[in-house]
Amino acid sequence: MPKSQFIDPTKVRQASKIEFKDIPVNQYDKTIEEEKVNFSKEQFVGIYHDMVLIREFETMLNEIKIKGEYQGIGYNHPGPAHLSIGQESAAVGMAYHLDEQDFIFGSHRSHGEILAKGMSAIHKMDDEALMEVMKTFFDGTILKIVSENHQGDLKSLARRFLVYGTLAEIFARETGFNKGLGGSMHAFFTPFGVYPNNAIVGGSGDIAVGAALFKKVNKKEGVVVANIGDASMACGPVWEGLAFASMDQFEQLWEGAYKGGLPIIFNIMNNQYGMGGQTCGETMGYDIAARIGAGVNRDSMHAERVDGYNPLAVIDAYQRKLELLKDKKGPVLLDVLTYRYSGHSPSDASSYRSKEEIEAWEQQDCIASYGAELVKAGIAGQDELDSIKADVTELMKYSMTLAIDEEVSPRMDLVKHPEIIGEMMFSEGSEDKMEDRPVEVNHPMEENPRVQQIAKKERFAFDANGKPFSKIKQYQLRDGLFEAIVDRFYKDPTLVAYGEENRDWGGAFAVYRGLTEALPYQRLFNSPISEASIIGTAIGYAMCGGRVIPEIMYCDFLGRCGDEVFNQLPKWQAMSGNVIKMPVVIRVSVGSKYGAQHSQDWSSLVAHIPGLKVCFPATPYDAKGLMNSALQGTDPVIFFESQRIYDIGEQFHQGGVPEEYYEIPFGEPDVKKEGKDITILSIGATVYRALEAAKELEEKYGMSAEVIDARSIVPFNYEPVIESLKKTGRILLTSDANERGSFLKDMAQRITELAFDELDAPPVVVGSRNWITPAYELEDYFFPTKEWLLDAIHEKIVPLKGHMVSNNFTNAEIIRRSKLGI
Amino acid sequence: MANAIIMPRQGQSVESCIFTDWYKQVGDEISKGDMLFAYETDKSSFEQEAEEDGILLATFCEAGDEIPVLQNIGVVGQAGEDISSFQNSGVTKEVAEAQSEVVEEKKVELQQEVVLKEREADEEVKISPRAKRLANAEAVPYQKIDGSGPEGRIIVRDIEAYLVSVPKASPLAKEVMKEEGLAMADKGSGLDGMVKAADLSTNPVYTNDFEIKKLPNIRKLIAKAMHASLQNSAQLTHHLSADARRLLELRQQVKATEGAPNITINDMVCFALIKALKQFPDANAHFLGDSVKYFNKVHLGLAVDTDRGLMVPVIKNADDLSIAGLSNQFKEVAGSCRQGSIDPELLSSEAASFTVSNLGNYGVEMFTPVINLPQVAILGVNTIVPRPADLGGGAYGFVPYMGLSLTYDHQALDGGLATRFLKQIAIEIENLTIDF
Repeated sequence: MPKSQFIDPTKVRQASKIEFKDIPVNQYDKTIEEEKVNFSKEQFVGIYHDMVLIREFETMLNEIKIKGEYQGIGYNHPGPAHLSIGQESAAVGMAYHLDEQDFIFGSHRSHGEILAKGMSAIHKMDDEALMEVMKTFFDGTILKIVSENHQGDLKSLARRFLVYGTLAEIFARETGFNKGLGGSMHAFFTPFGVYPNNAIVGGSGDIAVGAALFKKVNKKEGVVVANIGDASMACGPVWEGLAFASMDQFEQLWEGAYKGGLPIIFNIMNNQYGMGGQTCGETMGYDIAARIGAGVNRDSMHAERVDGYNPLAVIDAYQRKLELLKDKKGPVLLDVLTYRYSGHSPSDASSYRSKEEIEAWEQQDCIASYGAELVKAGIAGQDELDSIKADVTELMKYSMTLAIDEEVSPRMDLVKHPEIIGEMMFSEGSEDKMEDRPVEVNHPMEENPRVQQIAKKERFAFDANGKPFSKIKQYQLRDGLFEAIVDRFYKDPTLVAYGEENRDWGGAFAVYRGLTEALPYQRLFNSPISEASIIGTAIGYAMCGGRVIPEIMYCDFLGRCGDEVFNQLPKWQAMSGNVIKMPVVIRVSVGSKYGAQHSQDWSSLVAHIPGLKVCFPATPYDAKGLMNSALQGTDPVIFFESQRIYDIGEQFHQGGVPEEYYEIPFGEPDVKKEGKDITILSIGATVYRALEAAKELEEKYGMSAEVIDARSIVPFNYEPVIESLKKTGRILLTSDANERGSFLKDMAQRITELAFDELDAPPVVVGSRNWITPAYELEDYFFPTKEWLLDAIHEKIVPLKGHMVSNNFTNAEIIRRSKLGI
Repeated sequence: MANAIIMPRQGQSVESCIFTDWYKQVGDEISKGDMLFAYETDKSSFEQEAEEDGILLATFCEAGDEIPVLQNIGVVGQAGEDISSFQNSGVTKEVAEAQSEVVEEKKVELQQEVVLKEREADEEVKISPRAKRLANAEAVPYQKIDGSGPEGRIIVRDIEAYLVSVPKASPLAKEVMKEEGLAMADKGSGLDGMVKAADLSTNPVYTNDFEIKKLPNIRKLIAKAMHASLQNSAQLTHHLSADARRLLELRQQVKATEGAPNITINDMVCFALIKALKQFPDANAHFLGDSVKYFNKVHLGLAVDTDRGLMVPVIKNADDLSIAGLSNQFKEVAGSCRQGSIDPELLSSEAASFTVSNLGNYGVEMFTPVINLPQVAILGVNTIVPRPADLGGGAYGFVPYMGLSLTYDHQALDGGLATRFLKQIAIEIENLTIDF
C-alpha cells in the first residue's frame, strides 16, 4: 500500500450500498439496411466469405476425423480436432476490426479464430507488408509451397498461405506455422497477430493480460483479445487474470502516458457448454456470463452480452469496445453468445443435449441466415454466395492435398536429425536488451540510495587477517541480486519486475530496496496476491518481446501457479517452433522458520519439467553472476534464493564480489573447498552446513572433504563432479529439499551411472525428512545439519573412528520408513 | 585430457629399460608420430613415437635412468592441465620418496590396519566398485581381506592398507600376478624390496613353468602312428650283442683307403641285416591281421632324426645294392628328409618291409624301438661298448660289442624265430665282407 493513498476510517466506515451499472444483453437491433452506411458490398461479402472459409475448414477436419476422407481425398488424422462449426459469426465478428498489431489469444477450439484473425489481417495489410511476412517466415518455406501454380492477387496468395500453414500445423507437418510442434490446439501465427492458443482451459485468461501489460508498458499499438470459453470462467487463473487486469493502480498510481486501464478484451466465446457441462443451468451460476463483470470493478468491465450468431452485432460491439480501450478504459468483458453443432471433439456422442436443441440452432444457422439477409437486401445474389462456397471448397481440397503430401509437407525427420526437438527446448540467446530504446528511470544509477549504500560495503566477508567484518558491513547475497537486477533495469527498457510487495516494501526480503526510488510505477509494481496471474502475465509479457522478473515470495506458493510454471512457461518456445522467446526470470524464495507451508524447497519439482532452467546460488558472487546470466539470456529461469542466507557475505571469491558486470554460466558447479577423501555436493543453503561438516571431518577424523556447490540444477555439468569423485571415490549429496523424490536422487543415479567404478560406497543423499516442516524450534530434527551429514558418512560411506551417531541412516531404517511412506 | 607417457614393454621378460634420451623438451608441441624418446634394453635400442598430439607437459626421467616397464615417464596433454596425478608412479628417487610420504600421511588419517580373514567358500565378499578396481589393478587377493566399510564392505582404504603391508611390486610383476593368478612374493629382489616378476616364480608350487603349444602336423602323425603301434600289436624286444671287431676293422680299412666311399658302421650293419633278412623272409613281411604279406625284395626303412621330427624314409630294393650303393642311397634320403624335399611316398610305413633305427651314435646302450606297423619287426642298433670276453686259451679281455635290440610283433613271429633271426644278424655282422 503506497503512502500516497490514505485510508480514512471515517470515510470507509460510512453506510452506503454498491450500485451496479446495467449490463446490456443482446441490445443490437440494427437491420442490414441500416448497416449499409457502415459496410461496403465487399465488406458485407467478405464477412460471408470468412465465415464460409471457417465452416468449410472445420467441416473438412470433421469429415477426415469421422469418415477418413474429404471430397474424395483420404487421410487419417489421429491427433485432436476440437471444432467450432456454428461459431463462425462470433469469430469473424471478433476479428473484423482487428489488424495485425492487435493480438488474440485462444483456446483448444480456435481454428476459426486463427482464420478469422488471419483474414482480417490480410484484408488490412498492404501488399508489401504481407509479402514481407510471407517471405521471411521460416525463410519463405510456406510461401514457396503455396506460390506454385498460384494465379490471382497477393491477398488470395496470402489466403492460401494462411489456410495451408494452419492445416499443415494441425497435421504436424514441419511446414506448418509452428513446425508441427503446436498442432491443432496450439497453432498460431504471430505475424498476423494470432498468439498462442492454449489447450489448458482458461490458459489464455492470464497470459493475454501479460500481453496487454506489454502493450501498455512499452507503448505499443493495438489491443489484446483473450478468447476463452464460457466454462473457463470457473478457472482460478482466469479470475486472477481479471483481477490483475483491473488493478486500481493503472488508473490511480501509474503516471503520465501510462495512466489508465489495460487494452484488453476478455472475449467469452460462449457456446454454452464446457465439454458436455452446461454452464447455464448446470455447472455455473452466472446465468449470463457477462454478469461476471459486475463483480470485478467499478465499471463492471463494460460488460455486455452480444448475439454472436449475428456477425454484425459482434462487429458493432467491438467498434464500441475498441473506442473504450483507446480511451484507456479497459479491461472489457464481452459475452459473445454462440453455439457449436459439432461435438466437443469427434468422439463426442452429444449425450448431454437433445437432437431438437441442435436442430433449433441449426435452423438459425449464422451463415445461412446472414447469407439470406444479404440476398434479401440485394447486396449479393445467391449465385455469388454459391460461387464463394465453391471457391472455398476448392481451396480446402488444394490445401489438404498439399498438406498431406509427404514430399511437400514432411514431418520433422527425427531419424536424420534426432536432436531437432532437443535443440528447440531452449533459445539460448544472449541479449543485453530486448528492444533498443532509452530506459525510463527516475535518476542516474549512482544517485540511487541503495547503490550508494552498497558502495560502502565490504565485498569480501573477511579482512586481511581473515577476521569477518560485521554482518552490516558485509556485501550480502541480496546485494548481489540487487546489483544484477538494477544493472539490467538501466540496460533493458522492456524489463519489468512485479510480485507481492515488490514496490514500496522493497520485496519481503529487501532485495528490491532502492528500486522503488529508481523506477517508475510501470516498471516495478505490486501485483495482487495471485501467483497464477503473476506468472501467467509474465509469460504473456515475454511472448510479446519483453523481459520480466516475476517473484514468488515463498517457494511454497509455486503450487498456486502450477499450470503457468509446469504447462505454459516451459513449453512455448519449443511449441512455437522457436518463433517465441521466453526471457522470464522467476525469483523464488525458499523459506524457513515459518512452518509447513512456508519452508519447502521445491527445486526438484521444476527440475522435473523439461524446458526450464533452474539455479540455486548460495553466495553473493554466484547470485550476482547467475542473475546476470539469467537476465542476459532468453530462456525461462526458475531462480531459487534461500531466506536463510540473504545476509551472507562472500566467503569464497578472492577479492570479493566484483563491482563490474560478469556472468556465471548456467550448469557449472563450483568447488567451494578442495579435498581428497570425500566429495560433498550441495544444492542451495546446505553448502554452509557441508562446510561445517568438512571442518569437523578434518579436525576430528583426519579426512579432507571436497565441497562442491551445484549452483545450477538444470542444466548441469557432471564432469567436475566426476573428476572430484575420481579423486575421492565417495560422495554425499545434500539439500534442504525433502529427501524422497529430491533432485539429488536424480544426481545420485546419474553419478552412479557415469562413474560406477569410481565409487567406494553408494552415493548417499541427505535431505530433509518426508514430513511437514515443524516449527522453527524443531527444525534441527527436520532439515539436514552438520551432524546428519557426519552420521550418514559414518553409517553408509566410511565408518569414522569413535563417531557416535544421533541419526539412523541404516538400511533397516530406510526400509521401515519407506514402508510407511514417511 | 592429459595422458601418461609410459616406458614401453619390450617382450615378456623385460623388467626395465634404460632411458636414453628425450627428443622433445618440456613445453614442446608434439604431433602423433614424432620421435619422442629413445631407450634400450640389454639386447637392443629403440625409439618411441608420440601416440597423440599435444604439449609435452612433464618428464620424470633423464638419460641413464633405469625405468621399470609400464611406468609413467612423462605427460602429454594441453597447456595448463594438472599433471600431479601422473607423478605418483614416477620412478625418480625424489618422487618415490614423496610417494612414501603420501602413503604415510594417509595411514595417519585413516589409521587403518589390514585385517586378514578366512571366508567360507560360499561366503559373499562385499567390495565397493572402486576397491575392486584397485584390487584388480594391484593384484590384491581381496577375498582374504576383512572389510572395514559399512556392513563389512571392503572399501578402498582396506586395499590401500593391504598394499602398505606388502612389498611394492613392479608393473610387470603385477601383470604376471594378474595373468597367472600368482600370489605376492614375501620379499622382493628389486630396489627398496620391490617385487619383480622373477621373484614370483621362486615357489614352484605356484609356478606354472610351461607353455602349451599346438602340435605341428608331423608331430600329430608320429603320435598317432606310435600310439597305434603299441595298441594294435604284441610287441616285445630281444637284446643281443654282436662282436664289433670286424666292423671296426672294416671301418678302419675304409678310412685308410684313399678314394673309397665313406661307408659308415650303420651302412655296414644294414648291409649285414639285408643278408639276414634274405634268410628270414618271415621277418621281411607285413602282418595284416588275417594274412601276412611276404616281400621278395628288401625295402629298408631308416629312422632319421630331423628338425621337424622323426622320419623313416625307405630304400626300395635295398638287397640289389652294393655296400657303396646302399651308403649313397642312405645319405641321399636322409639329406632329403632334413631338407624337407623327400618324396612323401617314401615315408609311408607301407613302403618299407623292415626298419632300422640306429641310436648308436648317441651312446644308447639298449632301447625298445617301436614297430612301424604293419611291418612285423624293427631293429634297434646301439652303441659299441667294450665288454669282458673269453678270448680263448684261458685268456679274458675286453672286446667291443655292438648292442642289437629287435622288437617284433609276437602276433606275426614266435620268440624262437625272432631269436634266431637276431642271432643271424649278429653272425652276419661278425663275418661281414664288403667290397669298396
